[in-house]
Amino acid sequence: MFRTQLLNFVPKVQLRTLATQAKQPRLKTFKIYRWSPDTPDKKPYMQEYKVDLNACGPMILDAILKIKNEQDASLTFRRSCREGICGSCAMNIGGRNTLACLCKIDQNEAKETKIYPLPHMYIVRDLVPDLTHFYKQYKSIKPYLHAKTPTDGKENLQSIEDREKLDGLYECILCACCSTSCPSYWWNQQEYLGPAVLMQAYRWMIDSRDEATHMRKEMLQNSMSLYRCHTIMNCSKTCPKGLNPGKAIAEIKKQLAFD
Amino acid sequence: MLSSTTRLGLGLASSFTRPTFKSAATVAPSLLSRSLFIKTIPQPPGNIIDTVNEAYVAPPPHKLHGSVHWTSERLVTVLMAPLMITPMIAGTTYPLADGIMGTLLMYHCYAGFQSCITDYIPLRVYGVWHKAAMGLLAFGTLVGVYGVYIIETTEKEGLVGIAKRLWAL
Repeated sequence: MFRTQLLNFVPKVQLRTLATQAKQPRLKTFKIYRWSPDTPDKKPYMQEYKVDLNACGPMILDAILKIKNEQDASLTFRRSCREGICGSCAMNIGGRNTLACLCKIDQNEAKETKIYPLPHMYIVRDLVPDLTHFYKQYKSIKPYLHAKTPTDGKENLQSIEDREKLDGLYECILCACCSTSCPSYWWNQQEYLGPAVLMQAYRWMIDSRDEATHMRKEMLQNSMSLYRCHTIMNCSKTCPKGLNPGKAIAEIKKQLAFD
Repeated sequence: MLSSTTRLGLGLASSFTRPTFKSAATVAPSLLSRSLFIKTIPQPPGNIIDTVNEAYVAPPPHKLHGSVHWTSERLVTVLMAPLMITPMIAGTTYPLADGIMGTLLMYHCYAGFQSCITDYIPLRVYGVWHKAAMGLLAFGTLVGVYGVYIIETTEKEGLVGIAKRLWAL
């Protein structure tokens, strides 16, 4: 009892001391990739910004929003939900593809943090990659249910076990972190579908209600669309949602093996 | 003046945006074809073929390039494992096992290099050079297989014998 009271007491003292110390700004350097289509002949460059960590939220997104609000309104990036469910703020932070809203700022002020757009993509501006081709690829796998009229005329039923097969697949938010971390996708993105799209292809392949499995499999029967995957596994390593696209691709290969 | 590789799929082709795209089109080919010493095929800007609303079109299905190729690669690799260990346990007196091992090794190398070629000398960029590389690889593999035949017929202990002697160096 006495101990808990003591513990309650201690943080208050610490808070008070911190409040006086907080006047000392903790400036951290962010180096951010800049390129503007308005000046296409000017090469991309890294611009330095200093942000006071004492006056900034804990995530990278907070920092770049703060930079945009207070220092440089021309800094361009996508963001929407700020809680890792929309996939808009995917970028390369400290050498790793992740969502800016889920990535904590390294609190060590001595180290600078570098922020690039998703690697090996065409850049629209600053941190905004052109995802048009990525979406075109997603469209090509027909990511919707192909089923005849349900037997009861109302709904397509699915057992609990069959529904569980989709766990770990349906959560994908298509942020393109995995696809753009894949060297195979870098070299051959025009023809190779990439981990994100292939995982969704698998998600529809194993859906018990879907009747177009043959069509889905046949689409991948060529050297480029699926088999450019060399199990590098960057996709599973980088996924900000903790999913495993590499495994999904392996499962597709297994299903196709003696097809 | 919309080309087949236009980015404007949603009726955004206003006269305002057009000049920039025109100027981009005149600059693009020299920028996009990564010509080192050999001429490459220019790629569409942003990898976008057709309009932005059209889905990606997969190459026509061909099982020999797809699942059959993949499965044969794995099977060969799996078969090679015991054949690799056999001479260490049973000795070098089985020319048949040695011959099979040599042939499978040739296919294994062929499949591996073929993968490199499709990755780094893709048909869509290098066109005829891709075919030349594939042809050269096929020719090299055939020569290799013939070499295996020569080794098996003339060498006393076959491939394993050569490996043994290299090891002893």
